[in-house]
Formats: sequence, C-alpha cells, structure tokens
Amino acid sequence: MATTIAKTESRAGAAPAQAETPLTYQPNVDICDCGAEVLIVADIPGARTDGIDVSFEDGVLSLHARVPARELPGRSLGQEYGCGDYRRSFRLGDDFDASQITATYRHGVLTIHVPRLAAVRPRKVEVRAG
Amino acid sequence: MSLIPFRTKRSSGMEGGNLATLADFRHEMNRLFEGFFSRPTPFTPSWFEATEPGQWMPAIDLSETDTQIRVRAELPGIDPKDVDVSVSGDRLLISGEKKSCTEESGEGWSHCESHYGAFSRAIPLPESVDPAKVTARYDKGVLMVELTKAPSSTSRKVPVLTK
Repeated sequence: MATTIAKTESRAGAAPAQAETPLTYQPNVDICDCGAEVLIVADIPGARTDGIDVSFEDGVLSLHARVPARELPGRSLGQEYGCGDYRRSFRLGDDFDASQITATYRHGVLTIHVPRLAAVRPRKVEVRAG
Repeated sequence: MSLIPFRTKRSSGMEGGNLATLADFRHEMNRLFEGFFSRPTPFTPSWFEATEPGQWMPAIDLSETDTQIRVRAELPGIDPKDVDVSVSGDRLLISGEKKSCTEESGEGWSHCESHYGAFSRAIPLPESVDPAKVTARYDKGVLMVELTKAPSSTSRKVPVLTK
C-alpha cells in the first residue's frame, strides 16, 4: 500500500507540457489513502462543472478544468492570482480499478475517488482461538 | 574606567521571541503604518493584513468603478456558512474556517498542499463605503464582495464658474 502511494506522490507534480490556453495552472492537491480507495482532492475555484474533464489513459489519471474568463468591470486595483485552466496528471500504480473511478465537484473542489482492485484492498484477518 | 554592562534580554525589549511578542510587534507596526500612510495601498505586504498568527489568507482581486468596489477571493472547499464578511471603517474583513474532510472520515492525508483551518484577511479599502450596501456571493469556490462607495466619496464634477 505504502509503495503505491509513494509512487503517486513522486509523480504528482508531472504536469503535461502541452496547453491549449496561454495560461494553465497546476491546482493544489491533497491525496488521502483511505485503504479501499485513494482520494485526490484538487482546488479548482472558478471552474464550471461542465468544463471539467477527468480521464484515465495508459496508467495516467489527468484532470483538466476550464475556467471562464473573469468579468470584473471597472479598473483593477490589483490581482493576486491568475485566471486560466487547471491541469494536472497523476501516474497510478497497477492495483487500482480504473473503470470505477468517480469524481464529484462542490464549492470549487474536485474530489476524485480512485478505488483499489478488490484483490489488493487491505483486509483484516480475524484470528480465531484454536 | 567605567564598565558598560551588557544589555540583558529584559532590557532589550525583544525578550521571549514567542508568537505573542511577534503579534505585539506586528500590531505595533500596523499601527505605525496606518498612521504613516493616511490612505493605505490595497496591497500592503501580506503579513500586515493577517489578523491572527497561524492563519492563512485567501488570494484576492480588487477592482473599482465610479460607484463600487469589488473584491474577489479564492476560497475553494469552504461552506458558505463558515465565511464571515464584515466592513469596519475603511477595511473589509473576510474570515472563516476551512474544515478538513479528514475530520469526518478519520483518515489522514498522505500528501497535502491545501490550506486548512482558520483564515482571515483584512483588506484596506481605497475609499470609504456604505456599510449598509455590501453584498457577498459565494459560487464555485469564489467569494465575490460588492461594496458601494459612500456618497461623499464618489467623484463629482465641479463646474468652474465665470464672473
């Protein structure tokens, strides 16, 4: 279990080089190993639900979220964060069930549930008295 | 021959070095700067604006029209009920708490890049505003606050009369 997570972490920063829009940002991500599944929680504020793509191909889980351009009328007094699409990808180990990956989006946070294959899920073995 | 005593920690005024002392120092600096600049810039260094030690601050955008000031803050993953927006004098205060979902599941994060816990940010406003006309809206992790400038501060064209 620990090996797989380490692999995920070490490659978490490998964002794809190609970008469709001039500004692409790598969202902040939290990863939680919950045993039966791994949660990937990404902050993508401003993204619309219909503009989020989560895909899995060749062992790489990719997320791409389109963010509509900001409409702030008047003159800007300062901007602390840029506005552009979010992109990030993660290489998964072999013990995940790619067909069962699900994602939810709420309050600007994308949560991707990546379940483990049933065969490799941690299982507690009951010890019976002999 | 006179001996010059070493300054003790107590007399140096910097004893302790703990958070409380730092907070006092920052408070004093805030007071100094507020008095020094009668109209503070909207983007003073971030540590002037945090109100409590250990809190994180959301990133903001600030813009203005002739009648309004708009503040946009990135607050992903926060329940709108946990956000407080208030106007005090010429400052807008945005505070609240981002709760970690690990509190619900009881699991630990193996990798964490986001901020959790209490956040607070006091934003100096470029002009005085009408506290009764402030609206705040939270959508898709972004907080938008619209403030209406006080009538006295809105610009008015003064006609030049001739004799």
